[in-house]
Amino acid sequence: MHSNLVISQSDSRPMYLQIMDQIKQRVAIGEWARGEEIPSIRQLAVTLRVSVITVKRAYLELEREGVIVTQQCKGSIVAFDSGLSPRLYDEELTEQLDQVARLGELLGLTPRELESRLKEATERWTAGRLTKERL
Amino acid sequence: MNDLSVHFEGVSKKYPHFTLENIGLELPTGSIMGFIGANGAGKSTTIRILMGLVHQDQGTVHVLGHPMPEEQAAAKLEIGYVSEDMRLYGAATLEWHMRFIRSIYPRWDQPYAESLLQRFDLKAEQKIKGLSHGQRVKAALLLALARRPRLLVLDEPTTGLDPVARHEVLGELMAVLADEDRTILFSSHNTLDVEQISDQITFIDRGRIIDSDDKEIFLDRWRRLRLVLPPDAALPKLSGIVQVGGSDRLPVLTTNSFKSDMVSACHNMGATVQAIDNMTLEEIFVANVQSRRERQTV
Amino acid sequence: MNYSMVKCLMLKDWYLQRWTIAASLAAGAVTLAIILSGNKAAFYIGLLLLITVVISVGAHLAISTMVLERKEQTLSFVMSLPISYREYTAAKILVNLVLFLIPWLALVLGSFAIILLAPGLPHGLLPYVAIMATEILVSTSFIVSVALISESQGWTVAAIIAGNLALNVVGYFVAHIGSIARTMGEATVQWSPAGIFVLVAEFAAIALLLGFTFFLQSRKKDFL
Repeated sequence: MHSNLVISQSDSRPMYLQIMDQIKQRVAIGEWARGEEIPSIRQLAVTLRVSVITVKRAYLELEREGVIVTQQCKGSIVAFDSGLSPRLYDEELTEQLDQVARLGELLGLTPRELESRLKEATERWTAGRLTKERL
Repeated sequence: MNDLSVHFEGVSKKYPHFTLENIGLELPTGSIMGFIGANGAGKSTTIRILMGLVHQDQGTVHVLGHPMPEEQAAAKLEIGYVSEDMRLYGAATLEWHMRFIRSIYPRWDQPYAESLLQRFDLKAEQKIKGLSHGQRVKAALLLALARRPRLLVLDEPTTGLDPVARHEVLGELMAVLADEDRTILFSSHNTLDVEQISDQITFIDRGRIIDSDDKEIFLDRWRRLRLVLPPDAALPKLSGIVQVGGSDRLPVLTTNSFKSDMVSACHNMGATVQAIDNMTLEEIFVANVQSRRERQTV
Repeated sequence: MNYSMVKCLMLKDWYLQRWTIAASLAAGAVTLAIILSGNKAAFYIGLLLLITVVISVGAHLAISTMVLERKEQTLSFVMSLPISYREYTAAKILVNLVLFLIPWLALVLGSFAIILLAPGLPHGLLPYVAIMATEILVSTSFIVSVALISESQGWTVAAIIAGNLALNVVGYFVAHIGSIARTMGEATVQWSPAGIFVLVAEFAAIALLLGFTFFLQSRKKDFL
């Protein structure tokens, strides 16, 4: 957990919402990976200089939304399928596709060749995921 | 942790020109309570009763399980107390004070004290009389924190501090709470600080506790509703309205028991809800006090 | 009663008053030297000076350790320590007496030594000097008591003035008690029954004053 959340005092939204948003962002872009342990309520409260009760509320809401999972006596982790808004993923997809287009041009590939490469990648990914699930 | 670090029940104290009446306080171990009140409202008196420095006329006070004031010496062994009107000995150095406190409190943490010296930008060799006000406050806080008390009682801990020092102090206070067995009670005018780090908040005015609850509940319950009324329409009747402001056609209602169905209720009564504002702790406190005083004079 | 805390508080006041004690010892030594210079006028002047030094120390200590602590608002720092008012009172009484006893003993021993060893002074003076020195001790106990109970600078200053006046009054009165006056000029030390009675009464007064103070202080409800 290298990243530190930053709470803004001039933000008019309640603090627990700010905390929730920043956690959701980090989960969405993968900075906080699925299944990874997140700071305990007290640890985060101390780091952010925010009351324990506020962080507690943020965590409760995040759990209700399925973003995190709190384990009995063990702290909280990022949920495995958090169902976060696809918007952030969408943005990332656009970014990556732009990169693909650029690389394709550098390599001198036609759009058709790029498409078949994309198909291969999708097949590899699906195969890889199925293998992991079987293990 | 369900036990209470501080428990006041029915506490009263009468002075010639001021009476503290029926004070009730419950501070669970491991949490931090912000105590807000105007000058002369009774914050300092309540805190002095907590410390056993003033004996209550009526009611029971338990601090860390010890009845006060009978067992005040035992209680104070576990308490770090800093108040705004407290002074250290001007002719002695900060180092002398540190050694003095260290000789009394077994849990004095010297490495922690030294790190606080650095973070608070203080020099141990300096005499107290040579320190500025802000430095004296930080020195007193250092002496209270380094003894690793189970309960910290602070009367205006950030008053008179520059913004950087305030930030440091708040950080240290929160670091105290990393240990679940330690509790903080602090009184402050600075509602921003209280709003940020408190778990519970208690309002006191004119010798009485006027409200006490979890901070998040306060922030949830209180709202300002900005309405637009058609001409000649009556104000919607809603529960928990403590103040009415604005104009006849653009009233602003302050409520202390906001529910989301209020919006539709307003619509049903013919009013348009233009905005629902959250309220800062300061606004909540002022509205709370003003509405009670108005009711008292009526 | 937590004795280690009482000791702790006493050491604190000792540290804070260390220069006062050192200065009074130095002044005491100087005045003793004046007395010993052999000159009869110097003897009486020196004696007066010595008495003044001792009384001033008592008054200064009472003001510094009790009145000023309240005025300069260090009292709440002290009361936030793990003590009750009993430890506070005990420490203040003991500190004031013990710190005062240092110059006081210097005065007593010094003047005894002068009377017994210096040529030309009748040893019969000794009982009177003992009684007067103890009277100064009574006066200081009175000042300490008033300072603790009244918590006021005004009353403490009044007590200092009253103590000084009492010293003069008692001094005159005792010097004119028949049995004491008669033996003052004698070459040997002679304790008359009246003299012994006065001395015992003085010590009893000290014990009563301090005991009463302690009793009253324990019943107080508010420190600030």
